[in-house]
Amino acid sequence: MAERTIEDRLREEYFELLPDIRRVVEHLEAKIKYCVLPISRKLDKHEQIVVKSRIKECDSALDALRRHQEGGTFDRTYPDRYSLTDLKDLAGVRVLTFPRSRWIEIDMELRQRFIDWESDPVLSYDKIDTLAFKYYGYCEEASKKVRGELQIVSMLIGLYWEVEHAAIYKPTPRLRGIADSLEMKQRDNDVHTALRAFEDEFEKQIRNQNR
Amino acid sequence: MGTLETKSRILRDAGYNYNFDRMIYFNRKAKKIFSVEFILDSDDEKLEKCLTEEKDGGKWHFYFIHGDPSDAVKHEIESVLE
Repeated sequence: MAERTIEDRLREEYFELLPDIRRVVEHLEAKIKYCVLPISRKLDKHEQIVVKSRIKECDSALDALRRHQEGGTFDRTYPDRYSLTDLKDLAGVRVLTFPRSRWIEIDMELRQRFIDWESDPVLSYDKIDTLAFKYYGYCEEASKKVRGELQIVSMLIGLYWEVEHAAIYKPTPRLRGIADSLEMKQRDNDVHTALRAFEDEFEKQIRNQNR
Repeated sequence: MGTLETKSRILRDAGYNYNFDRMIYFNRKAKKIFSVEFILDSDDEKLEKCLTEEKDGGKWHFYFIHGDPSDAVKHEIESVLE
């Protein structure tokens, strides 16, 4: 009989974890929607808060864990070294906000509700700008094995990430490594800068109108 | 730290290609492999020093931030490149 590979073991682990992943996503999404309700109710017409959840798919999870290893390669001499529970984003909820000022407000609100969660913001390459607030932690009521990820991001940057993911990486997860090339990181940085400038200008125009 | 553009130019000028499956920059002639993590963690001076240092040309040399990878990892990456 052929020997089981690391990938075989991880696929089995994924389906063992799947009920927990589903519970975490459902729990987290419900809690976050409840927490942001007071802010959602007072939005102006041009403002938006959207809460989205997603479960990382099996192949995507395996590929992500492999890419977490330097050189994108599992060390096959230590097959027991790897577990999908090392991934922090098997169960994820993303809060998209527009405009940017709501982004800060939502983060302040949620930060105090998830006080014991680990903060791990997504930073620009130069580490000067925060692109998204990100927190990891356990929803003890839902699972003690699978962590949840909470991400709070401006609408334009969040939707750009979604389009990029849906158009390129979801159909072909192995292309995900392209995003890690220095050249693509630079182009990515350019897009983020342009989207931030757009949001800032939009808000400035609204403020000027209301004066 | 250096800019992404500068590092990218340094690697391109030295004849390095990117392998997106393993997230490494490699040069078959120089037989050197750099992980993206190592490149991002190094300043331009260190990177250029590693690119130009003389190595035994018979086998691949790995520049990883966590040190030399295991033989199994080296073998798998080498087989992807050869």
